[in-house]
Amino acid sequence: MMAGEMRKSALMAIDEINGSDEFDFAFAPRLRDPGGIVAGYHTACADLIREEQVDHIVGCYTSASRKQVIPIVERTDRLLWHPARYEGFESSDNVIYVGAAPNQHVVPLVKHMLDHISDDVFCIGSNYIWTWEMNRVIREIVTSVGGHVLAERLLELGETAVDHIVKEVIDRKPPVVFNTLVGESSYAFMRALHAAATRAGLTIPMLSCSLCEPELKLIGSAASVGCVTSSAYFESIEGPENRAFVARWKARHGADSNLSVDGQSTYVCVMLLARAIRRAGSVEVAAVRRAAANHRYDSPQGPVWVDPDNNHCFLTPRLARSVPGSQFKIFWQAEAPERPDPYLSNLDLTTIGACVERSDDAMTKRSNHLRVVK
Amino acid sequence: MTKPSPFSVRGRRALMVMRDEREISIVRRQLNRLGMTISEHDPADAPPGETFDVIVLDADTIPIKSDLATAWKAGAPIIALIGTETPSRLKWLLDLQPASFLVKPLRSAGLYTALVVAFDCAQRRMDEAAYVERLEDRIRSRRVVFAAVLQIMRVHGLTETNAFTLVRQTAMRHRTTIEQLSAEIIAAGGMPNRTTRTA
Repeated sequence: MMAGEMRKSALMAIDEINGSDEFDFAFAPRLRDPGGIVAGYHTACADLIREEQVDHIVGCYTSASRKQVIPIVERTDRLLWHPARYEGFESSDNVIYVGAAPNQHVVPLVKHMLDHISDDVFCIGSNYIWTWEMNRVIREIVTSVGGHVLAERLLELGETAVDHIVKEVIDRKPPVVFNTLVGESSYAFMRALHAAATRAGLTIPMLSCSLCEPELKLIGSAASVGCVTSSAYFESIEGPENRAFVARWKARHGADSNLSVDGQSTYVCVMLLARAIRRAGSVEVAAVRRAAANHRYDSPQGPVWVDPDNNHCFLTPRLARSVPGSQFKIFWQAEAPERPDPYLSNLDLTTIGACVERSDDAMTKRSNHLRVVK
Repeated sequence: MTKPSPFSVRGRRALMVMRDEREISIVRRQLNRLGMTISEHDPADAPPGETFDVIVLDADTIPIKSDLATAWKAGAPIIALIGTETPSRLKWLLDLQPASFLVKPLRSAGLYTALVVAFDCAQRRMDEAAYVERLEDRIRSRRVVFAAVLQIMRVHGLTETNAFTLVRQTAMRHRTTIEQLSAEIIAAGGMPNRTTRTA
């Protein structure tokens, strides 16, 4: 599903650029769909670069696919514009990372959990790198304040037999469940847990770093409500850029269709690319990369710009709760776009848990002070 | 015993535990050039029974939370192929105690260095393990040495220092270890009457 959302958003951005007087060039999209087959990404990119003479590639959702593409974009000096949030610990000169880095997605969510829900957490996720690394970060932060990871349960990708884990959750009644399942596994788990919790008269809070609006619709109204989600984008973001963006999207894809963080991020990728080309006056990779650095774009999700230190983006982390109608209600956002920290090297565990705002300390210039969003 | 040089790789047996065809062909070609014997193994299967001199293991092909990881441990030195630098993956890797590593995407350069470092590392580990075993033996026999010194103190009316000196000097004269002589002292109830020198 995400691939389709991302392609729709990329094409919408391309049409807008091609129809706009602000750009004196037009994009000619060349589409390839490796269909999630990991080895196919290398072949598709080799083909785009060698046969179509493509300079800039927008795409890849999973880290496995990105890792296939990086060798070839590095070897041929092309740029990959990567829209998806990911687990970090990477920084290629030939990738512009437009999705959130771990300090922009999982860290604010775990801090919220510690401050407002519990120090003890039950983790369930898909058996692959995203979950492994999210669980590591969760464990590191939680244990630094004396909390516990009560369990770490893994399901194979695509697995929808979730009853044994739902039973365990109901039996143990953890104060909170951290869900890093993806796709159908996550939908099946949320539906089954909601049904079982309702039968047992329990309310078990759930956290996610990846849930998005179209998924809420797939899960179904009852089971999808109440999940505390961390993301740089929600369809419900106020502000003229996003309202106009959502209106254009719905005009194009129907009033019932919903935006997603990954779709919006793909749109941002194309816009960042177009603006960098305009600024550079060239499509040449080194010039575009230089032009993209620190060049602010007021995107639907707010101001975004590339940090040339690591080619990731300054983004505004947000926390929201899923509500009926396949939407999220945002209850927190960072005061300003947050510097990307793909290696979490600025994560200071000693300041977590001590949630006192140290405004007198000039050394702690943290941009993620809590701010209530009405 | 002459130790094998880490630089001589010809004839050594390598096991490739990899999945990516492109990378398999790079490693296979390079191992062939070096004259090594190559076996290939699916990462999803349990480790094979035979022994190898080195294992080239693509870390990204084995799930972190699986029993397979530990099964690879303690065998031949491992050259880890690394695609993902997340701490969760690296911690898994550290538990395997890789002797060497290569970062993906692979090139033909680098594998020889990784092999040499792995063989050298494996040799050093064996030497260190043997050294530690010797030290542990000596610690274990301290009780025996202590009992032997007490025996000599009593029989010969010596101070502890003098009794130990006597045991040490006798051991040197007989070209044996203090621990071995101490065992003989306890068995004989006093300084054994050695007529022949042990080599």
